[in-house]
Amino acid sequence: MTPRTRKSLESVLDNLVWFMLIVVLALFSALIPNYFQIGIFTNIIEASSVLGVMSIGLALVIIAGHMDLSVESVAALAAMAVGILFCSAGIGMGIKLSPQWLMIPASLLVACGIGALIGLFNGFLVVKLKMSAFIITLASFIWVRGIVLAVSGGRSAQDLDPAIRWFAIERVAGIPLSAWIAIACFVVFSVLMAKTPFGRHLVMIGGNETAAYRAGIRVTRNLIIAFVLAGAIAGLAGWLLAIRTSGATANLGVGLLFNAFAAVVIGGVSLKGGVGALPGVYAGVLLLSSINTAINLMGLPANYTQVIHGFLVLAAVLLDTFKQRLRQRLA
Amino acid sequence: MTEKLLVLNDIRKNFGAIEALKGISFSIGKGEVVALLGDNGAGKSTLVKIISGGLQPTSGQMLFEGEEFEAKTPAEAKAAGIETVYQDLSLCTNVDVVANFFMGREITRKIAGIPFLDERAMEEITTKALTSAGTRIPSMRTKVEHLSGGQRQAIELNRFAHWGGKLLLLDEPFAALGVEQTRRGLDMIRHVASQGIGVVIITHIMQQAFQVADRIVVIRHGVVAGDVDRTKTSPDAVIEMITGQTLTGAGPVGKQ
Ligand SMILES: Nc1ncnc2c1ncn2[C@@H]1O[C@H](COP(=O)(O)OP(=O)(O)O)[C@@H](O)[C@H]1O
Ligand SMILES: [Mg+2]
Repeated sequence: MTPRTRKSLESVLDNLVWFMLIVVLALFSALIPNYFQIGIFTNIIEASSVLGVMSIGLALVIIAGHMDLSVESVAALAAMAVGILFCSAGIGMGIKLSPQWLMIPASLLVACGIGALIGLFNGFLVVKLKMSAFIITLASFIWVRGIVLAVSGGRSAQDLDPAIRWFAIERVAGIPLSAWIAIACFVVFSVLMAKTPFGRHLVMIGGNETAAYRAGIRVTRNLIIAFVLAGAIAGLAGWLLAIRTSGATANLGVGLLFNAFAAVVIGGVSLKGGVGALPGVYAGVLLLSSINTAINLMGLPANYTQVIHGFLVLAAVLLDTFKQRLRQRLA
Repeated sequence: MTEKLLVLNDIRKNFGAIEALKGISFSIGKGEVVALLGDNGAGKSTLVKIISGGLQPTSGQMLFEGEEFEAKTPAEAKAAGIETVYQDLSLCTNVDVVANFFMGREITRKIAGIPFLDERAMEEITTKALTSAGTRIPSMRTKVEHLSGGQRQAIELNRFAHWGGKLLLLDEPFAALGVEQTRRGLDMIRHVASQGIGVVIITHIMQQAFQVADRIVVIRHGVVAGDVDRTKTSPDAVIEMITGQTLTGAGPVGKQ
């Protein structure tokens, strides 16, 4: 194989998700009545904001060669905290700040702060004490959701303060601000991963931790920061979730983890670490969101959605294995 | 050799009851290539690990550039300019040549206080360093996983030389390489040494030792069984040192 064919094959593999997105959108537009309209596309972007933000954190940790299963529960806890503090109905305490806009940074700080703390806890146990990331973050997935249930008593908070709700309502170019926040996150973190030493180091740690360590890269510190970032971003996803639903319920966001997981893997991030980039993850998120929209439009019962999502995760992992094999053959 | 880079003085190492090194003394000059030979279990790897901070000697003294030296960790040794290059342990194959060359030492430009990678500057320096060493790598932007074992070794050795390495330790560096790649690797070692870097290479293959080394040091049962100029000995003489029938006139023997 000439280097050029190899190179082009490899860039096809790297950008596979974009081809898939285009094919799926074209197929749905052709086959499903009413699919092809601008409204649907803004809808897809809007519906993908929470999932998108959550996927960024998950992708960071997987690229660095680890795993964070706790992001869904962390988002739920952040949403519940924002709901309890700033909702006026249900279990909401209806706290008001003046001037009103202060509630935006305050609620953001609460959401991201909670996430960062749990991320620090995960990171410390996994990186410093060298415990299995899978088990530690699975435990966090369970106990954090437990806290959500405990503090809410199974009840919900409604009527989020309009000052915060504003992000879901105000639109720029037909897309709500909350979705713009997700897009901005993708831009910022894509640049962070591709253009800064920190991002480069995470990729190298994911590729060969020993080599990175031997080259003087502060592996422990970088990995803990990655876990903290993943937690904080999951907190931000929770904040967006609270805004979108104008409150929080005890089972808010259940199932998002597997969507995020599927989006990340379909987006080209390899589970073995060191491979993948965030723009692809965004394409993966949009792809899942397009499929969800199609399911809704076709009016499939909700139970089937779960089956389809399960198969999507399976397909994503199969795709990852297949791509790894192909890459090995190319190498 | 004119100036001594590293002097080992009666280095001993015990693992519990096992005396792996029983008093090793020899020295390495700047720009000198020393081949370390010996049977399996003779103590070669143990000695190299002690020099590079992976192990601490039980007793004995090391002088590095004339000053007493004992590295507690590989990082400490590396900071002093001493490094072991292990195959597969020092490159990240999932990123390109430039990223590997600058691993942990990236050039950045600050924009609004945030450090950004200066890819162009890094690529320029990498290209210059590798081509001046005669390495043929089609593109500096190729991921290392697509490069041959020999090309990978060239990156490692040139990276070491470029970043001010002073003493290079190689433990069986050609175990996984073919004939042609090994020949290039040996050339590369000579190129590195010509820049004033001291090299210690452990090898099992006599022919390699005679191709690349200035001096040959033989270790047997934890002592120096021979320390000879390459030009003043022969493969047969060295084999006899390794197996234990020291010839007269083969060189000084380490004290027991
Ligand atoms: N960590 C260790 N614990 C106990 N014994 C060891 C250890 N490392 C090496 N040895 C012993 O020290 C001796 C020298 O080993 P080594 O330096 O690996 O030899 P070589 O590299 O020359 O083959 C051997 O007898 C080996 O069994
Ligand atoms: Mg050995």
